[in-house]
Amino acid sequence: MEPTATCWIVRAYLGLVLIFLYLPIAVMMLMAFNSSALYELPFVFDTIWFEKLASNQRLLTASLNSVVIAAINAVVATALGTLAALAFARYSFRGRRLLQMLLFPPITIPWLIIGTSMLVFFFWTGIGRGLHAILLGHVALSLPYVIVVVGARLASFGPELEEAAATLGAKPGQAFFRVTVPILAPGIVAASLFAFAVSFDQFVISYFLAPPGVSTLPVEIYTSIRKGFTPEINAISSIIILVSMGLLLLVVRNYRFGGER
Amino acid sequence: MKAAARRRLAIAGLTAPAYIWLAVAVFLPLSAMLYFSFLSATPVGGREAHFTFDNYVDFFTKSIYWFNARRSLELGVHVTLLCLLIAYPAALMLAKHVRGRWREALFLLVILPFWSNALVRTFSWTMVLRGDGPVFGPINPLLPAGMQLDILFTYPAIVVGLVHAYLPYAILTIYISLQAVDDALIEAARSLGASRLQAFRRVTLPLSIPGVLAAVFLIFVPVIGSFMEPRILGGKDAIMLGPIIENQFIAAFNWPLGSALSFIMLAIVLIVMAAASPVLRRHLGATA
Amino acid sequence: MIRKPISRRTALAGIASTAALAATAPRPARAAGSITVLNWQGYGTDEAWALEAFAADTGIEVVHDYFNSEQEMLTKLRTAPGTYDVVLVNNIYVMTAADEGLIQPIDPGAISNFQDLSPPLRDSDRFVRGGQYYAISWVWGVTSFAYNTERIATRPDSIEALWAPEHAGKVGWRDDALESVQLGAIATGQDMNDPGDMELIKQKLMALKPQIATFWSSEDEWNKYMAAGDYDIAVYWSGSAARSKKAMGLPVEFVVPKEGAIGWFDGLCIASGAPNPEGAAQFIDYMVDPAFYVPWDNQIGAPASANIEANLALPEDAMNRTILGDPAVAERLQWMAPVSDERLQTNQELWDEVKTSFVQ
Repeated sequence: MEPTATCWIVRAYLGLVLIFLYLPIAVMMLMAFNSSALYELPFVFDTIWFEKLASNQRLLTASLNSVVIAAINAVVATALGTLAALAFARYSFRGRRLLQMLLFPPITIPWLIIGTSMLVFFFWTGIGRGLHAILLGHVALSLPYVIVVVGARLASFGPELEEAAATLGAKPGQAFFRVTVPILAPGIVAASLFAFAVSFDQFVISYFLAPPGVSTLPVEIYTSIRKGFTPEINAISSIIILVSMGLLLLVVRNYRFGGER
Repeated sequence: MKAAARRRLAIAGLTAPAYIWLAVAVFLPLSAMLYFSFLSATPVGGREAHFTFDNYVDFFTKSIYWFNARRSLELGVHVTLLCLLIAYPAALMLAKHVRGRWREALFLLVILPFWSNALVRTFSWTMVLRGDGPVFGPINPLLPAGMQLDILFTYPAIVVGLVHAYLPYAILTIYISLQAVDDALIEAARSLGASRLQAFRRVTLPLSIPGVLAAVFLIFVPVIGSFMEPRILGGKDAIMLGPIIENQFIAAFNWPLGSALSFIMLAIVLIVMAAASPVLRRHLGATA
Repeated sequence: MIRKPISRRTALAGIASTAALAATAPRPARAAGSITVLNWQGYGTDEAWALEAFAADTGIEVVHDYFNSEQEMLTKLRTAPGTYDVVLVNNIYVMTAADEGLIQPIDPGAISNFQDLSPPLRDSDRFVRGGQYYAISWVWGVTSFAYNTERIATRPDSIEALWAPEHAGKVGWRDDALESVQLGAIATGQDMNDPGDMELIKQKLMALKPQIATFWSSEDEWNKYMAAGDYDIAVYWSGSAARSKKAMGLPVEFVVPKEGAIGWFDGLCIASGAPNPEGAAQFIDYMVDPAFYVPWDNQIGAPASANIEANLALPEDAMNRTILGDPAVAERLQWMAPVSDERLQTNQELWDEVKTSFVQ
């Protein structure tokens, strides 16, 4: 099918990219099995960090919180963001430029500033701190990513297919669900992956808006830098990677995301 | 209902949920900060504060601010360009040259680093990049004396760390854009006599521009304000605009100055993006 | 050698059984319930064994919230009234917090160890105003530097060691404007709280360009860089040096050079609107008690206690007795004074300029 030369170039290039992407992750997982608490070499195999992790209630609860929040965040942000992206792609209207520009502040302005301003504003307005506040913040930070990613997908498809469906007699609702959504699907899935990742990794906002005693994984990691960044962190990060790999495998297997068109 | 009114309703209905959410969570809080940025001191705890432009003027008169703003912009450009250069061929190959099971598997592998925590990843980079770590450690004795590999605590280390963090974003967004390019279009171009290179330049590339622009937005913008990778990987070369702004909140109690610098940074980014967007479009001949 | 002295499983088992026991035992009549403590993470108040002992004794459960900078501590106090009971406040911020109504006076009668506290610290005008005690002095320490005894043979006795060419590229420094300016002042022979010649300090700090390997911003980073050999000599806090040596097993020694060093002291306060002020007072009393302090310093490492008796109860060779207990050392210290917003800003700009000069 493809000339052999291209095949080899493709394999070599993608291979190099993957090596680059996984180098620090491999090191991170390696250190999860190293006995030194300070990442000192030489490497001495030990599963102590996983044992400690098993009894580290705080870290485990925080991880669970992170997953739950990120999942809710992904659903909400993807829903809201997709609607907005549809509006931008399919309609041109006054103020569209402005609304698109308004997507910049959440991503540009350092999260510390946004976090502080949220803390102060939520305090003034009685919203306060808590899981609801964290979710409020996370969804807001994920929205630009969702809108941009879904928008890019929509832009690559013109409205022709939907128009064609309309001329063939489909009502707007039918056209939407039968034509637009399947086309959009990879974009939506990608956007929700982004949203999940943004929330899962987000510590500044979570840090500011979490009430005492409640924590998420990134917050635990960040604040444990003060106390002692032990390789338990590596242990849980490794577990998360492996679990995510498993989940993603399920998603991709059952839904032909990279599928043939 | 008339068509025009229905259209307006549709637009409002689609955009309102997202933007109301953003308003409550981001815009309103930030407008408080905007207000602060014109004050002379943080109006908390009984401090006297009066209206002033000083915080904005300071950006232009004090070299530490605009010098580091420039440094941050350079960092943004370096990281974004590198990400695009590496990601585009990778996305192209994934979308067009890999089929079936392999495509799924590779796609998965590219996305997976998303789920490693950024802080842990960055610390892992410190191990990889140091001269006596598990990666360069074994290699260095084999290299001539002048060519030892040890880039930790330097600017290149910051770039490496950031490129690594944002590469999956670029690959993903460009990929889904490329995937939308109908193979039939390319075949049509080829059958009309275009060479493969021409077909790529005239058909594939322009249609993938939205993905490229999305990638630029998702990478350039956050990189400029980044503080974690510079701090951990950059050693004493770590100073950038991001950390300077944050110090106004963490170390000094100068929210007005910190806010002013943030909004200036926002303005710079908007200007740069507004300028770059048509340039990219024109040079790459997009019709989308 | 590197493992923590108390395994988490033991602690967890201890807490679980104590909690079970406590649940069945009759609770003390007053101040039961819970308290919320706001502090740096890993700074004494959240030691698992201590909280377990405290709960066994009083029935009070302790919940923690943390901050990563003093500004953040103040922000948290301002935006969450009625949330916190006990707050750790550095002496230079106590009166600021009191003026803003963020903390309330403490009744010395509620603190059984009150008489044992060292008077200069206990009655300092940073903590006391109009006869009201806004903070109970808890620990004190020194900011100076520590060096790796395996890599540097002779003990340095001057702060110039940080600028010495033989340590180029091996010096650790903290990315903090106030501390840097203070150290620069000491190195140039000035009063660190009111230096006359800031330009001189700036030049001195800029001269660090070939020296610094990288900045650290937490004890843990310091340990990692020292262990990896990035640092041979680095700026550090006395309590942390004790921890690095004892709990982490690093071959480091703390030095208070002849030019002097930065002295600081922390106090424990009760927040205004605290839900459980009686419980808060009991906790503070426990924190200054030798029953808490001595194990804390012995097993983990701590700054010096404000409680004279507690310090005397330490073993003879404890760093807090040998170095910090030495009157000649105390002579050389300059004590941190409150810093105005303007000075904070000036320091921050100076330090940003120094850091910018490192990349030019």
